[in-house]
Amino acid sequence: MSVVEVNGVTKRFGEFTAVDRVSFTVEPGRIFGILGPNGAGKTTTIRMMNHITIPDEGEIRIQGVRVGPETQPRIGYLPEERGLYRKMKVGEHLVYLARLKGMSPETAKAALRYWLERFEAIDWIKKEVGELSKGMQQKIQFIATVAHDPDLYIFDEPFSGLDPINSELLKEVILELKSKGKTILFSTHRMEQVEQMCDDIVLYNQGRTILTGSVNDIKRSFGKNTVVLEFDGDASFLDTVPGIRFNNRSNRFAEFTLEDDSQTRHILAQALETLDVHRFERVFPSLHEIFIQSVKKDRSHVSG
Amino acid sequence: MSPDKILIILQREYMTRVRTKAFVISTILAPVFILALIAIPILLASLETDRPRVIGVVDETGSLHARLDAIAAGRYRALPPAPTDTLRAMVLDGRIDGYLILTEAHLTGNHDIEYLSGGTGGLGLMSDIGQDVRSAIRDERLSRAQVSDAVKEILAQRPSLVSRKITQTGEEESDTLALFIVGYVMCFIIYGAMFGYGAIIMRSVIEEKTSRIIEVVTSSARPFELLMGKVLGVGAVGLTQFSIWALSSSAILAGAGLFMAAGSPAGMDDPAMAAATAEAGFTIPTIGAGLYVAFVFFFLMGYLIYSALFAAVGSAADNETDTQQLMLPISLPIIIPIMLVGPVASDPHSTLAVVASIIPFFAPMLMPLRLAMTDVPLWELGAAVLLMAGAFVGLIWLSARIYRVGILMYGKKASFAEMAKWIRYS
Repeated sequence: MSVVEVNGVTKRFGEFTAVDRVSFTVEPGRIFGILGPNGAGKTTTIRMMNHITIPDEGEIRIQGVRVGPETQPRIGYLPEERGLYRKMKVGEHLVYLARLKGMSPETAKAALRYWLERFEAIDWIKKEVGELSKGMQQKIQFIATVAHDPDLYIFDEPFSGLDPINSELLKEVILELKSKGKTILFSTHRMEQVEQMCDDIVLYNQGRTILTGSVNDIKRSFGKNTVVLEFDGDASFLDTVPGIRFNNRSNRFAEFTLEDDSQTRHILAQALETLDVHRFERVFPSLHEIFIQSVKKDRSHVSG
Repeated sequence: MSPDKILIILQREYMTRVRTKAFVISTILAPVFILALIAIPILLASLETDRPRVIGVVDETGSLHARLDAIAAGRYRALPPAPTDTLRAMVLDGRIDGYLILTEAHLTGNHDIEYLSGGTGGLGLMSDIGQDVRSAIRDERLSRAQVSDAVKEILAQRPSLVSRKITQTGEEESDTLALFIVGYVMCFIIYGAMFGYGAIIMRSVIEEKTSRIIEVVTSSARPFELLMGKVLGVGAVGLTQFSIWALSSSAILAGAGLFMAAGSPAGMDDPAMAAATAEAGFTIPTIGAGLYVAFVFFFLMGYLIYSALFAAVGSAADNETDTQQLMLPISLPIIIPIMLVGPVASDPHSTLAVVASIIPFFAPMLMPLRLAMTDVPLWELGAAVLLMAGAFVGLIWLSARIYRVGILMYGKKASFAEMAKWIRYS
């Protein structure tokens, strides 16, 4: 059974359709990425999963149960806009949020102790939240999300605003949760994280999904029309190739996508002639590339 | 709806507030402040040795000055007839504060009396002079007309109206004015508390939005539960505060009573005190236990209804400045009953009084007033209570709808049209 089923969900705010007939499923034990430009409907979808807003049409099921007050404790939700009560003590605050998720004070305390130790934050338990640094508050917020040990985790832009150390820690914890068989769904702009972590993705644009599936399948479907070239010498001839688009370029490295696959052979010949070639490889396009291509194609499709 | 969650939220709201310095300070300072408000004017009045005003009287009748002097010794100084310029100069020099010229015409016709001064000297002085001169003229005219003492006595009489209420067990003292004052005071305590605690609710809702905690909380609890818990929690804080005040003030009163009994053997027979009580025109009536219960009950209901309204405003606004335009429509239902206090007090059984005291927004203030002054039929009480309870739950529900959408629209200003849409959306 899918952990999350989104079936034909639409959400309108007056004239504006934030989410338009969206459907996808999230399978157990997977890391699922929700991608898309700003304002594409990612956060609205996530809020509907958490029963913060309610769909106008369609329905969302969590572990087969229609979203409602009883599905809320099954989810650990880290919103994009984070916040805590500044005047509360760390320990009391965490117990409060855990109790709202249905834990008894005693089990909540035990679970919180584990996580506070795991994040080296046990000394802050008697401190007021407002006294903590931003990085420390982020750790507390994260603990509040995971303490009640749900099966499903939903993180909205979890890496935004994190310093590199906390970012690394979060990544580690997400992978650890996955290894325990938990399901993680997160939205992000940062493609390298999706590349490293996600099993499946859905790509949003203007309230609709334009791509869904496993990362591997999606890459394969886009074909090997991306080339990685490492070299010494002057590679200015590349600028004259028609339909070439650079994803990445420096004076010893170039990654580019070709509109016309047949040109690869021609470019290789020219490179061997003028450059000292260290590497010439046809690869699957990066998710970054897929993201840009798909959104562009969708936009021209919509406007045309 | 989960009562457990409401209870968890209530606990948090209560505990985090009761432990703050602000709570301790306001609990201690509020009575001190109110005491100061009462005590300072009295102290000032007793400390300030009122500079006696001297009013020059040019008495052309030959008898009025003597009568004035008999009424208020030392206030009126007889002046020889002098040109106006001289009198003016005396006022400007400060030798006298003002002057009156009393002529025979004042004793024969209904002429106005002119008081000329360097400054009016205040309403109290003006009314004193007016009364003094009027009674001097009346007495002089009566004696010139050679009216008999019996008639003078009749004219001097001022019988007062004493009301007694007939009850099943007999008669009891009933001082309408005193009861009105009791009702009025209750009315204003409720009014003040509703604004005070209502603002706390509103600020708390806005704070949750600006600190962004709201999304975390709404992913665990319904807005209805959150608002209900918050309103009940802050209500419990208010109740705690009022209990502390009630207990400490009755302790102080008891202590003061003991002190006075020990300090002056004469006790309450103190003539000055008796005189003061007589002058005030009423004795503090004994307030029945039933009225206390009703007061506390209507206080709570009023708090609940208005805090729900304030919560709605907080839900719709992004910050406290935004609340200004939304405050007006909720201030109106609080101000209207204050304006109705007069009409309701003058006839607590009029249709206006009955209807107004049943309307949920007005009942918390007007019903205790009516209860203090008269017996309210049971059905009217019942109707008021039912309507208030219904209004409270309905308002919380409505606020929760506004809240659900309002919280998620940071930076979007809420017009009333917008709010109506939000109620439909969520």
